[in-house]
Amino acid sequence: MIGRKRLSPTMRPLGRIRAYARFLAAAFAVNVKSTLEYRVNFLLQFFGMMLNNAAFAAFWVVLIARTGNVGGYGFSDVMLVWAFVSTSFGLAHIVFGNVRQLGRIIMEGGLDVYLLQPKDVWINALASKTIVSAWGDFAYGFIVLAMTTGADPERWALFVALVIPGALIFAATFAAAESLAFFIGNSSAISSALTEFMLSFSLYPEGIYGSGMRWMLYTIVPSGFVAFMPLRIFKALDWRLAPVLFLIAVAYVWLSYALFNMGLRRYESGNRMDARV
Amino acid sequence: MAAIVANRLTKTFTARVRPSGRLSAIRSLVRPELREVEAVKGVSFEVEEGELVAFLGPNGAGKSTTIKMLMGILQPSGGGASVLGLDPSRERVELSRYVGAVFGQKSQLWFHLPPSDSFRLLGAVYEIDEDDRKWREAELIERFGLAPYWDVPVRKLSLGERIRCEIAASLLPAPLVLFLDEPTIGLDVVAKREIRQLLAEAARVDDTTIFLTSHDMGDIEKVCKRAIIIHHGEVVVDESMKDLRHRALSLKHVGVRYASPVNLDLPTLSPVKRTPTAASYEVDTRKHSLAEVVRALASRGELEDITIEDEPLESVIAAIYSAGSGAEAHAFGSGDGSLERLDEASSDA
Repeated sequence: MIGRKRLSPTMRPLGRIRAYARFLAAAFAVNVKSTLEYRVNFLLQFFGMMLNNAAFAAFWVVLIARTGNVGGYGFSDVMLVWAFVSTSFGLAHIVFGNVRQLGRIIMEGGLDVYLLQPKDVWINALASKTIVSAWGDFAYGFIVLAMTTGADPERWALFVALVIPGALIFAATFAAAESLAFFIGNSSAISSALTEFMLSFSLYPEGIYGSGMRWMLYTIVPSGFVAFMPLRIFKALDWRLAPVLFLIAVAYVWLSYALFNMGLRRYESGNRMDARV
Repeated sequence: MAAIVANRLTKTFTARVRPSGRLSAIRSLVRPELREVEAVKGVSFEVEEGELVAFLGPNGAGKSTTIKMLMGILQPSGGGASVLGLDPSRERVELSRYVGAVFGQKSQLWFHLPPSDSFRLLGAVYEIDEDDRKWREAELIERFGLAPYWDVPVRKLSLGERIRCEIAASLLPAPLVLFLDEPTIGLDVVAKREIRQLLAEAARVDDTTIFLTSHDMGDIEKVCKRAIIIHHGEVVVDESMKDLRHRALSLKHVGVRYASPVNLDLPTLSPVKRTPTAASYEVDTRKHSLAEVVRALASRGELEDITIEDEPLESVIAAIYSAGSGAEAHAFGSGDGSLERLDEASSDA
């Protein structure tokens, strides 16, 4: 009997990491399959989001043609910032699709299903959904990259190395805001504001912000770490700073995870009827 | 060994008092008035390995809160619990490997995907080897008859088919304890019967301890051997289904129909419903001899029909809910043991 057999001692750390990798791969596969159940909807959202992003590029073409550089950024810099933000944001919502639903899940008692499974609740809850339109955001960054830097393999590799910590920072920040639902009940206003701030501040040149504002952009609204710092590293082609960005991402993830688990002790469950979609 | 132990388990929620009037509402923004609601008040019981227990109570009695504390979803405010020797509040992750759960209202299957995909994911969640998962899946597909809809998206399944898949999914890791909260809610009679059979079989085949809450007496009678009844957060009855049924058996419903009008009042028993030629009586067999009641009724006139039915278990449990406190609940249906004679009634005829 499987259950009896698994009463054996807990796995070693390496086995545990492998088990989590298998779980995340399986969750990702299920999410993708679930998304592709409605192919037309997927294609509409995928291309719709790319079109939406492209409309902003048109705005920047006109603006920079009239004013020259803005805040020290030329058109290609602006486009690269868009590439980093779009792909990181997309990746965060593809892998951790529940990241901006977490507050609602907490409030409505939807964590029960995850609490009943032998997996970390935070990871399980975040990874059990994918956002369809996020695939469009994810792909848009690569298209912009191809248009601005061509087919340089080293730059593509560095881009990938920088968008992974960016996605972790996006996910950790949004999840932290959503976790406030444990403490204040409805956290949707705070998390919506944070999402808007983070995206808006990320998509404009760093040079337009004053020092006080910049301090905020490298702390509670970490646009600096998902847009400006990756752009600097990318332009300098400086691989040495990529691990630093990764460590910063780990710190954000750790803080967000700690906040969630602190709140989890206050979780009050609920009786809402639920289905996993 | 006890599979589940609840020891003076208590849960208190803090609720905000909703003020009436605009000024009070504004004041409550600054200084909210809070009140503590005791959902579970020192619940204690033990469930042995392999037992099939019904955990009953009216809405708001504290059933779901107790179950959620036993599974580690909620942290108790007081007392303690142990499931399979593990503390749910501190060892939830470890415990979840050996405990399954089915919430009739919450699904663990992906709505847009077929059950096969959800089972594959659950295999990864529970860290079951691929070969073991396939073997276990094949067993569950056969036992639960899942083959016809194994590759059909869950959204296209009937509720009964979905619940079958839910229960099979919860049995995938072969849990030692299975918690079920309203598993047959919304199902038709055929689907309910099938689910009950499957649960009873799961308990028999896998030797799984079953802890079930339901408002459906059929679930309780067909699946469980023991009933724990909770009301206002306290255990009011904890006895075997046999004893609970015995309470029901002591009350009989006797219906009679005569060819022509007769005097329907017996000296110590009046009908609960009557027409000139028909009546129905509630006979507590601890107070009255059923044989004497029947004899007395037969002697009243020319009988066209007579029926004798047991009190439904549902009525017994409803009476326990209404009684509320333990003392009252235990007193229900327990007469003083003396039989009131109906000789006089017989002689009247």
